[in-house]
Amino acid sequence: MQTIFSPHAKRLLLAAVLLVLPALAAAGTTEGLTVTPANIVMGAQYNGLDLKVSGTVPANSEVIVRLTGAPSTLHLREKGKVFGLVWMNVGKVTLNNVPKICLITASSPLDLLGKAAVPFRLEALAKEISIEKDGGDPSIDIPHQLLLLKTKEKLYGEAAQGITLGPNEGGVRSFTAVIKVPSAISPGAYQVEAIALHNETVTGHSTATITAELIGFPKWLSELAFQHSLLYGVMATVVAIFSGLVIGLVFQSKGAH
Amino acid sequence: MSLTMSLYLPIAGNSVNCLAIFGLGGVVGLLSGIFGVGGGFLMTPLLIMMGIPPTVAAASDSNQIVGASTSGTLAHFRHGNVDIKMGLLLLIGGIVGGTVGVQIIAILRQMGNADFLISITYVLMLGFVGGYMFLESLQAMRKSSRPEVAVASPKRESLYAKMIRIMPLQVDFHRSGIRLSLLMPFCLGILVGVLAAIMGVGGGFIMVPVMVYLLRMPMHVVVGTSLFQILFTCMNVTVMQAAQNHTVDFILALLLLLGSAIGAQFGTKIGKKLGGEHLKILLASLVLIVMFKMLYDLLAMPDVLLAYAGGH
Repeated sequence: MQTIFSPHAKRLLLAAVLLVLPALAAAGTTEGLTVTPANIVMGAQYNGLDLKVSGTVPANSEVIVRLTGAPSTLHLREKGKVFGLVWMNVGKVTLNNVPKICLITASSPLDLLGKAAVPFRLEALAKEISIEKDGGDPSIDIPHQLLLLKTKEKLYGEAAQGITLGPNEGGVRSFTAVIKVPSAISPGAYQVEAIALHNETVTGHSTATITAELIGFPKWLSELAFQHSLLYGVMATVVAIFSGLVIGLVFQSKGAH
Repeated sequence: MSLTMSLYLPIAGNSVNCLAIFGLGGVVGLLSGIFGVGGGFLMTPLLIMMGIPPTVAAASDSNQIVGASTSGTLAHFRHGNVDIKMGLLLLIGGIVGGTVGVQIIAILRQMGNADFLISITYVLMLGFVGGYMFLESLQAMRKSSRPEVAVASPKRESLYAKMIRIMPLQVDFHRSGIRLSLLMPFCLGILVGVLAAIMGVGGGFIMVPVMVYLLRMPMHVVVGTSLFQILFTCMNVTVMQAAQNHTVDFILALLLLLGSAIGAQFGTKIGKKLGGEHLKILLASLVLIVMFKMLYDLLAMPDVLLAYAGGH
């Protein structure tokens, strides 16, 4: 087993974060961050939604809005070439501290926002992930591959679209961002952040927490499947047999004509 | 009020278009009804392509096969095409073989080469079964299209036929119109069970050629009996997967089975109209297409070098 971040490197990373935090606090926060809807309700017809985030930032600022899910542990397989011919699973990879979702939208292309935007981008997120490898090719860039996998699933993304900035009035400007939340999210807490940037410095940072929860039939079914799993399995089998018999009998009656 | 066709699946953790899932079930059910295969080797990859996690796709597929094979078995039973005695012997053998196969996989996983061996077994089995069936059916169709020449040469009994004849515990299988040793379907059931467990499929596409070529059953009885056997195998898999792994999405399965049970009824009628050789050559083509797709996946570099644990 191999861990990419040594304890020494982790201490350095923590020190760097502690140094940055006071600077952010001194920059002040954006005011009045409003998230609509306030919570994500996942009923039978839930198919993703547009999350509207609005607030104000210091005048002349650009804005980054980020939606992130709680960090979790991921167990993955690494693919590699065997005998120089076929692509197979060649190793196991365990990733810790991986947010389930990370959708980033900005008012200008992120590359133009300079160094101040870097800590809020996907590449920075990948650096905070700890990796344990069992087998596989040591030269593979696992964090980069994780970003590719999650981006393919539409759970990670960066885009310079979906933010409308208002005019500068009284030292502030309003913004409205729309984040497209995919249907493949899990129930739980999610963090919405709005970061204001001006002249390559962070001028404001505000957060809000929203929750995603199952309701109605999906909630009932999920509870049955996880809390009474044997009963759920038997029920699924019985309903399948019954449905097959009913359809079979319907066709039999038609066949009699 | 707007009517949306999307439905959120709480176990799969994603929403799907009801019509797309229903249509997918219908197409696979049609093939299941025609050929007597469960369709797991087609349905699971297609569900994964639609955004369903691999483990949920495989387990929910087993659940829908229960419904489709109930409907298909009932239809074939009405036409007198289910050999229950043969099906039960194959089933018992299959359960024994499946248990042995699961142990083999556990040992292979510890050795670290399981995934490679699973994929190679898949390609070789599909290639061998599909290729043999295709060539054999092609020859038979060519023969039948030629004018009959009156040659009355006595046919020599093959070594295999002699071996079958001298085996102990010979019984009549009236539905199939054959006389065989009880050990034959039992041992072949074990063989299919081992392969099915290693490959993680119901085993229909291996069982059908085994019944045709090794048990020498008539094609239409083969299809009904295969569905009968698959019904019980998938009932066991559904309950086990739901209880141990929580991977059966009942709503996904219900949508799939509504489509597939209806598709299976049409498939059974189409299968009746097609000749035995036509059925065999179509199934062989299908098996070869899946084999080539798997071979391509093995040889082409994937877009992403990481995959979730649980899929093949």
